[in-house]
Amino acid sequence: MLSCKQVATIASDYLDKSTPLKWQIRLHLLMCANCRRFVRHMKITRELSKQMVLNKTADDVDTIWNKVQQRIKQDSQSD
Amino acid sequence: MTTTTSTDESELIAQLIHGDDQAFRHVIALYHSLMLNIARAIAGDIFADDIVQEAWVSVYKNIANFERRSSLKTWLLTIVSNQAKARLRKESRQVSLEQLDGEATGSYLDGANFKADGHWQQSIPQWNIESPDALLEEQQLQHCINRTLNLLPPAQKAAFILRDIEQQSFEDICSILAVSAANVRVLVHRARLTLMQVIDRYQETGSC
Repeated sequence: MLSCKQVATIASDYLDKSTPLKWQIRLHLLMCANCRRFVRHMKITRELSKQMVLNKTADDVDTIWNKVQQRIKQDSQSD
Repeated sequence: MTTTTSTDESELIAQLIHGDDQAFRHVIALYHSLMLNIARAIAGDIFADDIVQEAWVSVYKNIANFERRSSLKTWLLTIVSNQAKARLRKESRQVSLEQLDGEATGSYLDGANFKADGHWQQSIPQWNIESPDALLEEQQLQHCINRTLNLLPPAQKAAFILRDIEQQSFEDICSILAVSAANVRVLVHRARLTLMQVIDRYQETGSC
Protein backbone atom coordinates (compact mmCIF):
# COMPACT_ATOMS: atom_id res chain seq x y z
CA MET A 1 0.00 0.00 0.00
CA LEU A 2 1.13 3.56 -0.68
CA SER A 3 2.53 5.58 2.21
CA CYS A 4 1.21 9.02 3.17
CA LYS A 5 4.40 10.57 1.77
CA GLN A 6 3.84 8.88 -1.57
CA VAL A 7 0.22 10.06 -1.65
CA ALA A 8 1.27 13.63 -0.78
CA THR A 9 3.90 13.52 -3.53
CA ILE A 10 1.45 12.52 -6.26
CA ALA A 11 -1.68 14.25 -4.95
CA SER A 12 -1.65 16.81 -7.78
CA ASP A 13 -1.39 14.07 -10.40
CA TYR A 14 -4.36 12.36 -8.73
CA LEU A 15 -6.45 15.55 -8.84
CA ASP A 16 -5.34 16.27 -12.41
CA LYS A 17 -6.28 12.69 -13.36
CA SER A 18 -2.81 11.94 -14.65
CA THR A 19 -1.61 9.08 -12.51
CA PRO A 20 -1.86 5.34 -13.15
CA LEU A 21 -2.01 4.91 -9.35
CA LYS A 22 -5.58 6.20 -8.98
CA TRP A 23 -6.92 3.03 -7.34
CA GLN A 24 -3.98 2.66 -4.98
CA ILE A 25 -4.51 6.28 -3.89
CA ARG A 26 -8.24 5.73 -3.41
CA LEU A 27 -7.54 2.67 -1.29
CA HIS A 28 -5.14 4.69 0.85
CA LEU A 29 -7.65 7.55 1.17
CA LEU A 30 -10.33 5.11 2.38
CA MET A 31 -8.13 4.27 5.31
CA CYS A 32 -6.27 7.52 6.04
CA ALA A 33 -8.13 10.56 7.41
CA ASN A 34 -5.00 12.74 7.27
CA CYS A 35 -4.47 12.11 3.58
CA ARG A 36 -8.17 12.61 2.86
CA ARG A 37 -7.86 16.03 4.49
CA PHE A 38 -4.60 16.76 2.67
CA VAL A 39 -6.09 15.91 -0.74
CA ARG A 40 -9.26 17.87 0.08
CA HIS A 41 -7.19 20.93 1.00
CA MET A 42 -5.20 20.63 -2.20
CA LYS A 43 -8.44 20.40 -4.18
CA ILE A 44 -9.74 23.57 -2.45
CA THR A 45 -6.44 25.34 -3.22
CA ARG A 46 -6.75 24.35 -6.87
CA GLU A 47 -10.37 25.54 -7.06
CA LEU A 48 -9.46 28.82 -5.37
CA SER A 49 -6.64 29.40 -7.85
CA LYS A 50 -8.99 28.95 -10.81
CA GLN A 51 -10.91 32.00 -9.63
CA MET A 52 -7.89 34.14 -8.85
CA VAL A 53 -7.32 37.19 -11.02
CA LEU A 54 -3.78 38.22 -11.80
CA ASN A 55 -2.71 41.77 -11.05
CA LYS A 56 -3.45 43.95 -14.04
CA THR A 57 -0.73 46.05 -15.62
CA ALA A 58 -0.52 49.65 -14.47
CA ASP A 59 -0.05 50.84 -18.07
CA ASP A 60 -3.16 51.44 -20.13
CA VAL A 61 -3.60 49.91 -23.56
CA ASP A 62 -2.92 53.21 -25.38
CA THR A 63 0.40 53.67 -23.61
CA ILE A 64 1.50 50.13 -24.46
CA TRP A 65 0.30 50.48 -28.05
CA ASN A 66 2.21 53.76 -28.46
CA LYS A 67 5.41 52.20 -27.12
CA VAL A 68 5.01 49.24 -29.48
CA GLN A 69 4.43 51.60 -32.41
CA GLN A 70 7.57 53.56 -31.49
CA ARG A 71 9.64 50.39 -31.44
CA ILE A 72 8.26 49.25 -34.77
CA LYS A 73 9.24 52.62 -36.24
CA GLN A 74 12.72 52.45 -34.71
CA ASP A 75 13.17 48.90 -36.02
CA SER A 76 12.11 49.87 -39.55
CA GLN A 77 14.49 52.88 -39.52
CA SER A 78 17.42 50.73 -38.41
CA ASP A 79 16.67 48.02 -41.06
CA MET B 1 -9.16 34.39 -16.80
CA THR B 2 -10.12 35.67 -20.24
CA THR B 3 -11.45 33.41 -22.96
CA THR B 4 -12.57 33.92 -26.52
CA THR B 5 -14.63 31.56 -28.69
CA SER B 6 -12.96 30.05 -31.76
CA THR B 7 -15.15 32.17 -34.11
CA ASP B 8 -14.26 35.35 -32.23
CA GLU B 9 -10.62 34.35 -32.32
CA SER B 10 -10.69 33.57 -36.02
CA GLU B 11 -12.18 36.99 -36.77
CA LEU B 12 -9.72 38.64 -34.44
CA ILE B 13 -6.76 36.98 -36.18
CA ALA B 14 -8.11 38.01 -39.59
CA GLN B 15 -8.38 41.62 -38.35
CA LEU B 16 -4.84 41.50 -36.97
CA ILE B 17 -3.51 40.18 -40.27
CA HIS B 18 -5.25 43.06 -42.04
CA GLY B 19 -3.40 45.48 -39.77
CA ASP B 20 -6.45 46.60 -37.79
CA ASP B 21 -5.07 48.76 -34.97
CA GLN B 22 -8.22 48.42 -32.88
CA ALA B 23 -7.89 44.63 -33.02
CA PHE B 24 -4.30 44.93 -31.90
CA ARG B 25 -5.29 47.12 -28.96
CA HIS B 26 -7.97 44.59 -28.07
CA VAL B 27 -5.39 41.78 -28.00
CA ILE B 28 -3.10 43.91 -25.85
CA ALA B 29 -5.98 44.48 -23.41
CA LEU B 30 -6.68 40.74 -23.32
CA TYR B 31 -3.19 39.33 -22.94
CA HIS B 32 -0.65 41.97 -21.91
CA SER B 33 -0.97 41.27 -18.17
CA LEU B 34 -0.58 37.55 -18.63
CA MET B 35 2.43 38.02 -20.93
CA LEU B 36 3.99 40.35 -18.39
CA ASN B 37 3.56 37.73 -15.69
CA ILE B 38 5.19 35.06 -17.83
CA ALA B 39 8.09 37.39 -18.72
CA ARG B 40 8.52 38.32 -15.05
CA ALA B 41 8.43 34.68 -14.05
CA ILE B 42 11.09 33.66 -16.56
CA ALA B 43 13.38 36.71 -16.72
CA GLY B 44 12.59 38.78 -13.64
CA ASP B 45 11.06 42.21 -13.06
CA ILE B 46 13.85 44.30 -14.56
CA PHE B 47 13.53 42.97 -18.10
CA ALA B 48 9.85 42.03 -18.18
CA ASP B 49 8.42 45.27 -19.64
CA ASP B 50 11.01 45.40 -22.37
CA ILE B 51 10.58 41.72 -23.22
CA VAL B 52 6.82 42.06 -23.58
CA GLN B 53 7.21 45.14 -25.79
CA GLU B 54 9.62 43.18 -27.98
CA ALA B 55 7.11 40.37 -28.04
CA TRP B 56 4.32 42.70 -29.22
CA VAL B 57 6.57 44.05 -31.97
CA SER B 58 7.29 40.48 -33.01
CA VAL B 59 3.57 39.67 -32.97
CA TYR B 60 2.82 42.74 -35.09
CA LYS B 61 5.46 41.81 -37.65
CA ASN B 62 4.71 38.08 -37.76
CA ILE B 63 0.97 37.75 -37.34
CA ALA B 64 0.60 36.98 -41.07
CA ASN B 65 2.76 33.89 -40.52
CA PHE B 66 0.64 32.60 -37.61
CA GLU B 67 -0.40 29.14 -38.79
CA ARG B 68 -3.14 28.62 -36.20
CA ARG B 69 -1.73 25.30 -35.03
CA SER B 70 -2.32 26.57 -31.49
CA SER B 71 -4.64 29.16 -29.99
CA LEU B 72 -3.66 32.83 -30.35
CA LYS B 73 -3.04 32.93 -26.60
CA THR B 74 -0.63 29.97 -26.72
CA TRP B 75 1.17 31.54 -29.70
CA LEU B 76 1.53 34.85 -27.84
CA LEU B 77 2.78 33.09 -24.72
CA THR B 78 5.30 31.08 -26.75
CA ILE B 79 6.62 34.30 -28.28
CA VAL B 80 6.98 36.04 -24.93
CA SER B 81 8.54 32.92 -23.42
CA ASN B 82 11.11 32.71 -26.24
CA GLN B 83 11.90 36.41 -25.91
CA ALA B 84 12.36 36.02 -22.16
CA LYS B 85 14.65 33.01 -22.53
CA ALA B 86 16.66 34.81 -25.23
CA ARG B 87 17.05 37.80 -22.90
CA LEU B 88 18.31 35.55 -20.12
CA ARG B 89 20.92 34.11 -22.47
CA LYS B 90 21.92 37.62 -23.57
CA GLU B 91 22.30 38.72 -19.98
CA SER B 92 24.43 35.61 -19.31
CA ARG B 93 22.10 34.42 -16.62
CA GLN B 94 20.69 30.97 -16.06
CA VAL B 95 18.84 29.57 -19.05
CA SER B 96 17.26 26.39 -17.83
CA LEU B 97 13.97 26.94 -16.05
CA GLU B 98 14.68 23.89 -13.98
CA GLN B 99 17.89 25.47 -12.72
CA LEU B 100 15.86 28.44 -11.56
CA ASP B 101 13.68 26.29 -9.37
CA GLY B 102 14.13 24.73 -5.98
CA GLU B 103 12.24 22.95 -3.26
CA ALA B 104 10.99 25.33 -0.59
CA THR B 105 12.36 24.62 2.84
CA GLY B 106 9.79 23.38 5.32
CA SER B 107 7.59 22.12 2.50
CA TYR B 108 4.82 19.61 3.17
CA LEU B 109 7.04 17.01 1.51
CA ASP B 110 9.92 17.67 3.89
CA GLY B 111 11.12 14.33 5.27
CA ALA B 112 10.72 15.70 8.80
CA ASN B 113 6.94 15.69 8.34
CA PHE B 114 6.88 11.90 7.94
CA LYS B 115 7.71 8.93 10.15
CA ALA B 116 10.17 6.28 8.96
CA ASP B 117 7.29 4.23 7.52
CA GLY B 118 6.13 7.23 5.41
CA HIS B 119 3.08 8.13 7.51
CA TRP B 120 2.40 11.68 8.70
CA GLN B 121 4.24 12.69 11.88
CA GLN B 122 1.36 14.96 12.89
CA SER B 123 -2.25 15.43 11.93
CA ILE B 124 -2.98 17.63 8.94
CA PRO B 125 -4.41 20.86 10.42
CA GLN B 126 -8.13 21.40 10.01
CA TRP B 127 -9.43 24.36 7.97
CA ASN B 128 -12.33 26.33 9.41
CA ILE B 129 -13.18 27.72 6.00
CA GLU B 130 -13.29 25.12 3.25
CA SER B 131 -15.30 26.89 0.58
CA PRO B 132 -13.12 28.39 -2.21
CA ASP B 133 -15.64 31.23 -2.63
CA ALA B 134 -15.56 32.06 1.08
CA LEU B 135 -11.75 31.92 1.08
CA LEU B 136 -11.62 34.31 -1.89
CA GLU B 137 -13.60 36.85 0.12
CA GLU B 138 -10.90 36.94 2.80
CA GLN B 139 -8.89 40.02 1.80
CA GLN B 140 -5.99 39.30 4.10
CA LEU B 141 -5.69 35.80 2.62
CA GLN B 142 -5.70 37.28 -0.90
CA HIS B 143 -2.85 39.53 0.17
CA CYS B 144 -0.95 36.53 1.60
CA ILE B 145 -1.50 34.46 -1.54
CA ASN B 146 -0.43 37.28 -3.88
CA ARG B 147 2.66 37.92 -1.79
CA THR B 148 3.56 34.24 -1.81
CA LEU B 149 2.90 33.94 -5.53
CA ASN B 150 5.42 36.71 -6.13
CA LEU B 151 7.98 34.92 -3.94
CA LEU B 152 7.70 31.58 -5.75
CA PRO B 153 10.72 30.53 -7.81
CA PRO B 154 10.18 31.83 -11.39
CA ALA B 155 9.55 28.45 -13.01
CA GLN B 156 7.05 27.44 -10.35
CA LYS B 157 5.27 30.75 -10.65
CA ALA B 158 5.05 30.53 -14.44
CA ALA B 159 3.84 26.91 -14.40
CA PHE B 160 1.31 27.66 -11.67
CA ILE B 161 -0.11 30.77 -13.36
CA LEU B 162 -0.45 28.96 -16.67
CA ARG B 163 -1.99 25.82 -15.23
CA ASP B 164 -4.09 26.78 -12.23
CA ILE B 165 -5.04 30.38 -13.00
CA GLU B 166 -5.07 30.42 -16.80
CA GLN B 167 -6.13 26.77 -17.12
CA GLN B 168 -3.74 26.04 -19.99
CA SER B 169 -3.20 22.37 -20.87
CA PHE B 170 -0.03 20.64 -19.68
CA GLU B 171 0.91 20.14 -23.33
CA ASP B 172 0.73 23.90 -24.00
CA ILE B 173 2.66 24.71 -20.84
CA CYS B 174 5.46 22.33 -21.87
CA SER B 175 5.67 24.16 -25.18
CA ILE B 176 5.57 27.66 -23.63
CA LEU B 177 8.15 26.96 -20.93
CA ALA B 178 10.15 24.36 -22.91
CA VAL B 179 10.21 21.91 -20.03
CA SER B 180 9.07 18.29 -19.90
CA ALA B 181 5.53 17.36 -18.86
CA ALA B 182 6.91 15.62 -15.77
CA ASN B 183 8.72 18.80 -14.73
CA VAL B 184 5.67 20.99 -15.31
CA ARG B 185 3.68 18.67 -13.04
CA VAL B 186 6.34 18.87 -10.33
CA LEU B 187 6.46 22.68 -10.58
CA VAL B 188 2.68 23.03 -10.34
CA HIS B 189 2.56 20.56 -7.44
CA ARG B 190 5.22 22.46 -5.49
CA ALA B 191 3.41 25.75 -6.02
CA ARG B 192 0.13 24.23 -4.84
CA LEU B 193 1.84 22.85 -1.74
CA THR B 194 3.28 26.29 -0.95
CA LEU B 195 -0.11 27.97 -1.34
CA MET B 196 -1.73 25.25 0.79
CA GLN B 197 0.71 26.13 3.55
CA VAL B 198 -0.21 29.81 3.22
CA ILE B 199 -3.88 28.86 3.65
CA ASP B 200 -2.93 26.60 6.58
CA ARG B 201 -1.21 29.50 8.32
CA TYR B 202 -4.04 31.89 7.55
CA GLN B 203 -6.64 29.47 8.92
CA GLU B 204 -4.62 29.06 12.08
CA THR B 205 -3.46 32.64 12.69
CA GLY B 206 -5.54 34.93 10.47
CA SER B 207 -2.34 36.33 8.93
CA CYS B 208 0.47 35.39 6.53
